[in-house]
Amino acid sequence: MVPFMDDEDLVFRALADSTRRLLLDRLFERDGLTLLELEAEVPQLTRFGVMRHLGVLEEAGLVVTRKQGRHKHHYLNPVPIRLIYERWIDKYRDRRAAALLELRDQLEGRK
Amino acid sequence: MTTASQDATAPQVYQLYIRASQEEVWDAITNPAIVTKFFHGAQIESTYEVGARLRSLSPDGSDIWGDNTILECDPPHRLVHTWRSLYDPVMAAEPESRVTWEIEAQPGGFAKLTLIHDRLDASPKTAASVRGWSYIVSNLKTVLETGEALPPVM
Repeated sequence: MVPFMDDEDLVFRALADSTRRLLLDRLFERDGLTLLELEAEVPQLTRFGVMRHLGVLEEAGLVVTRKQGRHKHHYLNPVPIRLIYERWIDKYRDRRAAALLELRDQLEGRK
Repeated sequence: MTTASQDATAPQVYQLYIRASQEEVWDAITNPAIVTKFFHGAQIESTYEVGARLRSLSPDGSDIWGDNTILECDPPHRLVHTWRSLYDPVMAAEPESRVTWEIEAQPGGFAKLTLIHDRLDASPKTAASVRGWSYIVSNLKTVLETGEALPPVM
């Protein structure tokens, strides 16, 4: 498996699917689930479907697995989303905020 | 039936790739002059030997944020220490939890950092608070890759 390194494409692609977002939401609510437990959380999917989607999430770094004894646990890794937030969302939010402040200044006749 | 609230007490796992060597990442997490850049400006005091204290203080040194113990130290692979947040009375009264840093060398000039915060079962407020590790490890990446820290957030 190719690790996600710094590949934003893998993260965006992984997030662009409602089933995968549902799996992330389930892990957000109950982290560290085994495959069996995740299957029970999304009964509409086959085992193969759950495994396939988990593979995409893992490749994107959004899910990290850890072995404990005989069981493999799946953890939501929030860091790739944080990096996208810092790279994309924070930037544009600041720009919008700056535009609003400029508009206020103009309306208040400061410029 | 699941609830919308976040699982409070399960282990938390944070993982990212940093364009740096394993040794550089190890140095960053055990060198107080670098830790302060990505960890809220904290002053860090530790010899990083097993059994040694790991104290973190506010930037001006007036508040004790943490007074923990090094449990394992295997440079440049693995650092384990206790965790208790002393800056908040509720969290300070919760049982001690545990932080594990794992660093693996990767091809292409990358290191993989995995941070695991566990033993949070009886420490719900601490568990919610330390979700901020996302910001900390992302900041560590920025410091190592650009030499500069992210703007502060709270």
